[in-house]
Amino acid sequence: MAATTDGTAEHTDDGTERRPRRGTGRLAQAVSVFGELLITAGLVLGLFVVYSLWWTNVMADRTADRQADKVREQWAHPAPSGPGALDTEDGIGFLHVPAMHNGEVLVKKGTSPDVLNDGVAGYYVDPVKATLPTSGKDGNFTLAAHRDGHGAKFHNIDKLSKGDPIVFETRDNWYVYKVFAVLPETSKYNVDVIAQVPKEAGVTKPGRYITLTTCTPVYTSRYRYVVWGELVRVEKVDSKRTPPKELR
Amino acid sequence: MYGWIWRHLPGNTWVKALISLVLVLAVVYVLFQYVFPWAEPLLPFNDVTVNNQ
Repeated sequence: MAATTDGTAEHTDDGTERRPRRGTGRLAQAVSVFGELLITAGLVLGLFVVYSLWWTNVMADRTADRQADKVREQWAHPAPSGPGALDTEDGIGFLHVPAMHNGEVLVKKGTSPDVLNDGVAGYYVDPVKATLPTSGKDGNFTLAAHRDGHGAKFHNIDKLSKGDPIVFETRDNWYVYKVFAVLPETSKYNVDVIAQVPKEAGVTKPGRYITLTTCTPVYTSRYRYVVWGELVRVEKVDSKRTPPKELR
Repeated sequence: MYGWIWRHLPGNTWVKALISLVLVLAVVYVLFQYVFPWAEPLLPFNDVTVNNQ
C-alpha cells in the first residue's frame, strides 16, 4: 500500500495529467495511516489487558510482601516503648482464607485505591466504619480487596461457602470466623451489606461479624460480591505462632 | 505512518531494526509507567467497595 502511494506521488510530480490519480493516492495514504492507527489502538488495548491482569499483580505482590515483612518484623521486635506497639501504619494483621488458596493477605486501613492497589485488603472507614476485632466490641469487621489485578487478593471469593473458616491474625490473637452467608451479586450502592448488624445476611442481633466485599463478575465491577462470617473463637498466639487448626 | 518512520531511521536494515526495537520498548515503558496507571481509575474495572456515590 505504501509503495503504491509513493509511486503515485512521484509520478504526479511530473505532470498535471495524472491529477485524478493523485487524489486516489492521497486517499490510499489516508486509509493506510488510518489502518495503522487502528492496529496501534488494538495493540495498546491488548497491552492494557496485560497491564491490568498481570503487571499490576506483579507490582502489588511485591509491595504487599515488603509491607508484610515489615509488619512481621515489628511484631517480632516491638518498639521498646510508647506508641510503637500500636503502630498500624503498615497494616494491622493478616487474613487467612484457606478456601481462597492465596496464603495470607495483609490488612490495612482504608479502602481507597491507593491502599488496595498495593495488594492488600482494606478495612472500611467510609461510608460505615469497620469495627476491628481487636477492639473486643460487637460490630462488623468489613473488608474490601481487588478481584482482579493489583494482587487480586479476593479473586477466589466465589470458592467460599457456608461453614468455611476465615482467620484473622494479629500480633497477639487468631480470630477464627465462620462463613454463614454469601451474597453473590448486589448493587455497588448497597451499603447495608457493611452495616454493623448486617441484616441482609439474616442476622438481627449485634455480634462480632466479618464482611468481605469485592467486585463481580470477574474482570468487571458491575456488581459486588459479599461474604459474611461470624466470630467463632479467639486463640492466643503462642511463642511459635502455631496457627489454629483451621489453617493446618 | 510506520513506513515513514522506518524510512527516516538512519543506518542499514539492522540498525533500523535495532532502533525500532528500542522505540517500541520505550513506548511500552511509557504506557505501563504513566499512561495505564493514569487511565485505569477512569475505567470501570476496579471498583471493589460499596459506597453511596
